[in-house]
Amino acid sequence: MPIAKRTAINVFLIFHIVAITCWCVPVNSALLISFRNTVRPYMLWSGLFQAWDMFSPTPRSVNARVEAAVIFKDGRIQTWKFPRMEQLSIPARTYKERYRKFVENVQEESHSAMWPDVARHIARANNNRSDPPQVVMLIRYWSDIVPAASTPSHAPERARIFFEYNVKPEDLR
Amino acid sequence: MSIRTLIEGWNRFFFAPQSPLPVALFRILYGCLAVANLVLLYPDWLTWFGTNAWVSLQTMAKLEPGVRLNLFTVLPASNAWITGLFWVFLASAILLAMGFLTRINSVIVFLCLTSIHQRNLYILHGGDTFMRVAGFFLMFAPAGAALSIDRLIRIRRGREGPQVQAKPPWAQRMIQFELALLYFVTFCWKSSGAPWVNGTALYYVAHLDELRYFPVPSVLQNPVFLKIATWLTLAIEFSLGVLIWFKELRYPLLAIGVVFHIYLAYWLNIPLFQWEVLSAYVLFIDPNDLEHGLGFARRCRQTVTEVNLRG
Repeated sequence: MPIAKRTAINVFLIFHIVAITCWCVPVNSALLISFRNTVRPYMLWSGLFQAWDMFSPTPRSVNARVEAAVIFKDGRIQTWKFPRMEQLSIPARTYKERYRKFVENVQEESHSAMWPDVARHIARANNNRSDPPQVVMLIRYWSDIVPAASTPSHAPERARIFFEYNVKPEDLR
Repeated sequence: MSIRTLIEGWNRFFFAPQSPLPVALFRILYGCLAVANLVLLYPDWLTWFGTNAWVSLQTMAKLEPGVRLNLFTVLPASNAWITGLFWVFLASAILLAMGFLTRINSVIVFLCLTSIHQRNLYILHGGDTFMRVAGFFLMFAPAGAALSIDRLIRIRRGREGPQVQAKPPWAQRMIQFELALLYFVTFCWKSSGAPWVNGTALYYVAHLDELRYFPVPSVLQNPVFLKIATWLTLAIEFSLGVLIWFKELRYPLLAIGVVFHIYLAYWLNIPLFQWEVLSAYVLFIDPNDLEHGLGFARRCRQTVTEVNLRG
């Protein structure tokens, strides 16, 4: 292999090994943060960004789901539900698993910018020309997973409306 | 250890030519997994990526800013084009698995994969991330140098002999590095959490209703078993991240990893995740052992064919 080619590959290898490692190790020293900020544009552009924090450092200790209450022009209220994996057949939960991850993300306060999009999508899915949806409310239901050997074994379910959206006519197009 | 020894070791590890058989086999598995992923996504393709998707392209850019390699930003905003992207991606993934125009198809598959990821980052799991990063390095690998239509064409045209040519394995090494890093970083994250240290972590995972896949016997849901399994998970992930590089330990660890991931594939509903990670295990198999394995498979097939012909 020509020296120039080998040198170029070595630079490529060293850069990627260092950049990927520094990007994903769970250490937040000032030096690492600074380095991450330097390589961030490249990592985001190339798709090499990554996080390996599955179920860690602390696994979720609540079962949560999201539903929507859709209020129509005539005052009727209808509940719309995201697919719930535990209620689906094995093939259906295989196909619909992306919804599990999506719902997990929708609930996050840091993702609130997507709530209007989600509400609009639900409004379109429930559209009826003679009686269009006027309001969509996103509701989070959750119940804590009680520690082993605790009584009662199931915590009561709680609910909170976390977003309310007034549907505009152009949303339904 | 001297710097010279270190440089020699680096050069041997990344550049000493070796059979491209492992990376070719990985290419086949990678292509098949990309196809499987597309089959699963097909019914909801436009729901996730269409013009009226759950999250718009503009919202995604607002939530996840930055210039990104994303074909959706250059394609006309029409569902016909987005559906077209699906078929191009599928065709390219099939051709990649077959090893036809391997380099071009590895680039197309990576571009399509990273585009759908960037289009909606909120439906992805770790397996998707691994596929994306592995796909990046696969573009640089001699993935079509064996077990491919490209090679058959080269042999037919007289450009290559019956013996597979050895190639520098640096791109394969980067995918191996990525897999080991995945395990090691996961171990680091987990070991910093109290539930993993005190052994209660998997109890909570086992009680996440939406994650359950196939029914698990009650004995495996027992808190004592789950406590042991929590610590075993830490041990396995550390070993696959660090000890995998020791030749003597590699095959036993890969065997443990296979059992570990097959159990997770049965237990947790994260489709393809485990298989995507397992696919990269072939990169850790010695090319000579792979050669023997493939030779054995060929002999078996020959014997079966002969028996059938006699019958």
